Amino acid sequence: MRRSNIGWLFLAPATLILFVVGFIPFLYILYVGFFDWNSNAVDPTLRWAGLQNYRNLVFDATFLNSLARTLVFAFIVVVSELLLGYVLARALMADRLWGRQFFRTIHTLPIVVAPIAVGATWRLLCVPGFGIIPYYLKLWFGIDYNISTNAYHAFGTAIVMDLWHWTPFVTLSLMAGLTALPKEPLEQAQIDGGNKLQIFWYVIVPMLKPVLLTTVFIRLMDALRSVDEVWMLTKGGPAEATRFIGLHIWINVFPKTDYGYGAAMSLLTLYVTIVLSWLLFVAMTGRKGGAQ
Amino acid sequence: MATIELDKVDKHYGAYHALRDISFDIADGEFVVLVGPSGCGKSTLLRTLAGLEDITGGTIRLGGQRVDNIAAKDRDVAMVFQNYALYPHMTVRENMAFALKLRGDTLPDRNAKVDKAAEMLRLTPYLDRYPKALSGGQRQRVAMGRAMVRSPKAFFFDEPLSNLDAALRVDMRSEIKALHQRLGATSVYVTHDQIEAMTMADRIVVLRDGKVEQIGAPLELYDRPANIFVAGFIGSPAMNKLSVKIDLKSNAARLADGSSFSLPPGTRARDGQDAIYGIRPDHWILSRGDQGAPATVELIEPTGAEILVAAQLAGQRVLCAFRERHALKAGDTIALAVDPATAHVFDKQTEQRISP
Ligand SMILES: Nc1ncnc2c1ncn2[C@@H]1O[C@H](COP(=O)(O)OP(=O)(O)OP(=O)(O)O)[C@@H](O)[C@H]1O
Ligand SMILES: [Mg+2]
Repeated sequence: MRRSNIGWLFLAPATLILFVVGFIPFLYILYVGFFDWNSNAVDPTLRWAGLQNYRNLVFDATFLNSLARTLVFAFIVVVSELLLGYVLARALMADRLWGRQFFRTIHTLPIVVAPIAVGATWRLLCVPGFGIIPYYLKLWFGIDYNISTNAYHAFGTAIVMDLWHWTPFVTLSLMAGLTALPKEPLEQAQIDGGNKLQIFWYVIVPMLKPVLLTTVFIRLMDALRSVDEVWMLTKGGPAEATRFIGLHIWINVFPKTDYGYGAAMSLLTLYVTIVLSWLLFVAMTGRKGGAQ
Repeated sequence: MATIELDKVDKHYGAYHALRDISFDIADGEFVVLVGPSGCGKSTLLRTLAGLEDITGGTIRLGGQRVDNIAAKDRDVAMVFQNYALYPHMTVRENMAFALKLRGDTLPDRNAKVDKAAEMLRLTPYLDRYPKALSGGQRQRVAMGRAMVRSPKAFFFDEPLSNLDAALRVDMRSEIKALHQRLGATSVYVTHDQIEAMTMADRIVVLRDGKVEQIGAPLELYDRPANIFVAGFIGSPAMNKLSVKIDLKSNAARLADGSSFSLPPGTRARDGQDAIYGIRPDHWILSRGDQGAPATVELIEPTGAEILVAAQLAGQRVLCAFRERHALKAGDTIALAVDPATAHVFDKQTEQRISP
């Protein structure tokens, strides 16, 4: 009895901090979401709006497009990073690769660069008429690459930038997972007559599931919240081609000071994220005995 | 089922020479046991047979076909690992059926084979469990079953029983033996348990430092070890090895204190040659008369079936096992005699056997 009380005592500071910085703001956003509140409006006070914000949201094409765009973006980058990360992890673990130690060390460098700096760097690389990327694309392939005017170019560049920044994280995490795999089942699978693809699919993937799940979760959450990098790169443009949901909310809440509507958007986005994570979790742990 | 032929097999790990010039043949349906001290290359040899390690020289043939250059998956052999290596994410049934699934057997086919093997191994109640919910012995049986369902060309076992307790080990030992008799599959079995080796093997291969020391039937190895190493390795408690000088005039092996034992008839020795005179502990004869070498009893350990007596004989410690209940105590002087026919003589230099 005494023991468990002391346990709670130790947990108290963390719980308190979590409560103050996590739960209270959440309740506050929930509260604000029911009001019409814009500090630059004629009436800058909170006016009760009921569910009006949410009803507007459901018909707000800009918001819905931004949400869909974000999901597409997140899906593409997470899947690509997983594939690319796995290939890189296997390559960096292969005995025969020349300079393996060196690459292992430097490949993690992008992770430590702040997103804002990544965005700025890529902006410099891509600026039309200045960056080297448009220059060489024109020179070698004759492509008129312009992230300020071409929506596809901007969206593609945002994806490539995310791959550059975060694939090393996936590689690192998969390398840890692969290293920790027991060797014997893999050898057994060879003896059982499995070719490389079969061993990968039937043995490595299921045994790697906990690591895969964690990695996908982390990357998905990050990708859904991607703001600063893209802001530096394109400011969400051209038009709204790269205006992901985080950026969209930020634009509404800060430059536009539309707090009530922003709060409602945040909550709806949170809801979508939770459902998505839950689906993912169910899909990956659906079979018993897999992820332990 | 198939024969296995090894010809001058060599294996290097970088500069380390793990297998040296190993050549022997295994007949179809034979049960061969590999023994040797830890690190001598037993697992390595087994893994090269299975295709999990490349060899750096020589050839391996399986059923007449050369396999040292083909991958493990194409060799059609089964292996049971020391820690079973079950797939943690598959049920017992899926574990056992996995190889069948990979090679494209139909589901009813797979199930029939698994059910049959499970029945044989008394695993039927566990077919839907995951490995983590099985005991060591059950896991071991799953690993066996997984090998059985495939009817492979050969079975390889790497110390499959070493994680089990003594009683279970004895059980599983006879089960594997019975299984082998029923299936008649060519098997190679690694162990460092003497009893396992002696009871299960058709032939035993003794390895040391990556080299074959002797190959032979269990009793052949016990009765006629080819060199000092095999003599000391096979048999428990180990053979006594006395340093002696050969005295051809009196056809005897002379100890440092002048006492002597007769040489086995037909021993090829030079006069004055340094030799090792080997006697198994249970081959000592306690003589009350004046024949035999005098020894001082140091320690007495009754085990029930026999009495183990450690004694000093001409400055060397020897171990004797007597079935009779001699009334002995520490400090007694006894006379030890030997029937020369049961003795083994080895050249001290070459360590090779020189008695017939
Ligand atoms: N991957 C490797 N790299 C370098 N040396 C190795 C490697 N694998 C094994 N060895 C060496 O090869 C020798 C034989 O190893 P092996 O595992 O075959 O021994 P073993 O006879 O099975 O021993 P044990 O009875 O302890 O299992 C050992 O000295 C070991 O250190
Ligand atoms: Mg071993």
